[in-house]
Amino acid sequence: MHSGILQAINGVSFAALLFLLASGFTLSFGLMRVVNMAHGAYYLFGGYIGLSITRYTGSFALGVLGGGLAVIPLGYLIDRFLIRRTGENHLAQVLLTVGIAFVLGDVALKIWGGDSLKVPTPIELRGAIELPGGIIYPAYRFVLIVFSVFVGLSLWLLYRKTQIGAVVRAGVDDREIVSAIGINIDRLFVLVSALASFLAGMAGVVGGAFLTLYPGAEWEILVYALVVVIFGGLGSLEGAMIGALIVGLLDAYGRWLLPEFSYFVLFGPMAVLLLFRPRGIFGREG
Amino acid sequence: MKVRSYGVVMALIAIAAALAAPLVADPFWMTLITQIYIYGLLALSVDLLLGHAGLYSLCQASFFAVAAYTTAILQVRYGYPTIVAAPAGLIAGTLLAVLYGSAVRTRGVYFILITIALGYIIWGAVYRWASFTGGDNGITNVPPPSVAGFSIASQTAYYYFVLTVVILCAFGYRILIRSPFGLSLRGIKGSESRMQSLGYRTTMHLYAAFVISGLIASLAGVLYVYYNRFINPVAASFQISVEVSLMAIVGGSGTIVGPFIGAGVFLGLRNWVSSFFELHTAVMGAVFIATVLWAPSGIVGLVERWRPGIGKPKDQP
Repeated sequence: MHSGILQAINGVSFAALLFLLASGFTLSFGLMRVVNMAHGAYYLFGGYIGLSITRYTGSFALGVLGGGLAVIPLGYLIDRFLIRRTGENHLAQVLLTVGIAFVLGDVALKIWGGDSLKVPTPIELRGAIELPGGIIYPAYRFVLIVFSVFVGLSLWLLYRKTQIGAVVRAGVDDREIVSAIGINIDRLFVLVSALASFLAGMAGVVGGAFLTLYPGAEWEILVYALVVVIFGGLGSLEGAMIGALIVGLLDAYGRWLLPEFSYFVLFGPMAVLLLFRPRGIFGREG
Repeated sequence: MKVRSYGVVMALIAIAAALAAPLVADPFWMTLITQIYIYGLLALSVDLLLGHAGLYSLCQASFFAVAAYTTAILQVRYGYPTIVAAPAGLIAGTLLAVLYGSAVRTRGVYFILITIALGYIIWGAVYRWASFTGGDNGITNVPPPSVAGFSIASQTAYYYFVLTVVILCAFGYRILIRSPFGLSLRGIKGSESRMQSLGYRTTMHLYAAFVISGLIASLAGVLYVYYNRFINPVAASFQISVEVSLMAIVGGSGTIVGPFIGAGVFLGLRNWVSSFFELHTAVMGAVFIATVLWAPSGIVGLVERWRPGIGKPKDQP
């Protein structure tokens, strides 16, 4: 019973991390129709930069912020000068961004080396919290859940309740009409892609504090993020939330109950879902 | 007529050069060339979907790895002879394609993402199911293939064996893509709704193409395991799926020689660059980027464009 609850918390805290990464991915697909396979590399880069900042300044909060901010110009340049040139050709986008991810991954390996590195967390977050019922759990992961709920809520409010969000949603529905009524869609693209890069970089620092950072981590986390958006539906923020929860819980219970087959536990339901709803839970035909 | 004879001459020269290669090449080159044939075959399986059906599958390494693992496990752990183990590998890989074929219910970016995820199932299975697949270490000590007392043990003999299989496959592939089936695949790539309104069951066509592609990838997997003599989870990795699709595109998508040329360029370049430059993965990534931006129709496309005397350049979509 105890370990069942423990796994649930494990799953939810992993879901919290996945949401940070998948929300950016899904938003940039929704608006710009861009499939960015370099998103995992943004995560890794952000994580490494945040690690260096945290080591240098001793402040974890600065590391999280800096890791996220540092990826914005990188993402902007890649978006502006490389991805934009592929137009709507998803095949070209996938190949191009995989190539970018290879380059970034190799550069990161050169700078930060091949060992697995852990972003140092502040002392206050290192301890454990005792829950009612005698369950002891690392404090860091609780803070992560709270943080991610906060980010998710802010994103949701931004997306659903503000004018910028309304314009973005209109852009997701019909880009041409939005630019035809005089809205600068290009500026909107820059904004959303900056937000996506920021979220990915921040996720790297936050995730690097408990999953560690190492060469290849970018692909592992990207696949989880892909499964999240496949479950939830590409382009849907709500889908990313639900998808992250499903994936996080399936992964935690899979690892616990069937360690050798945990990938089946994760991908099996996904395959079945796709047979009946190819566009995910919240995905729309189009 | 002229174009046709040009193609035949080039094919004959290529085959003659391949036959003569063992006379001049040292073991290093023989290993590399054999590897090029095998990866070229895998790239060809990608290109049946990519170049003809317009589907971009990123789980080809799964069929490759399942075939290779099945053959290796049967041969090493259960001591079955090649005559059983190799066909079993082919069947296992193809059965996986029969199962994964349900992915053709989706199109475009969804198909790409789903095949990535499906590919990771196999990677996860071979990596984590260590009691059966050997985990990280994989399966080692695969014996050379032997049928009815004849063992193909020497490197040169295996080279010729792979070459024969590849040439036969290329001929079979040529017949396939020139058949009405191949035409209807290209029709679907051009406009699926048009083919549907003409009465074609497009999803069934794509499904069939997917399974055939899985069969070719499985064949490459069986050839690979006897060439490499061991197999580990790297064979099932996403990276392999990506690399072989790049080979198909670098060489020239929609052609038969393209994937093999692409495999040659890619593996040759990697071997060469990694001998003196530390960041060789970054160089391969740069090749990805350059190909997508400047040479989307690949080397064959570039040659077609600059080949003198033969009409107008054809625009390859």
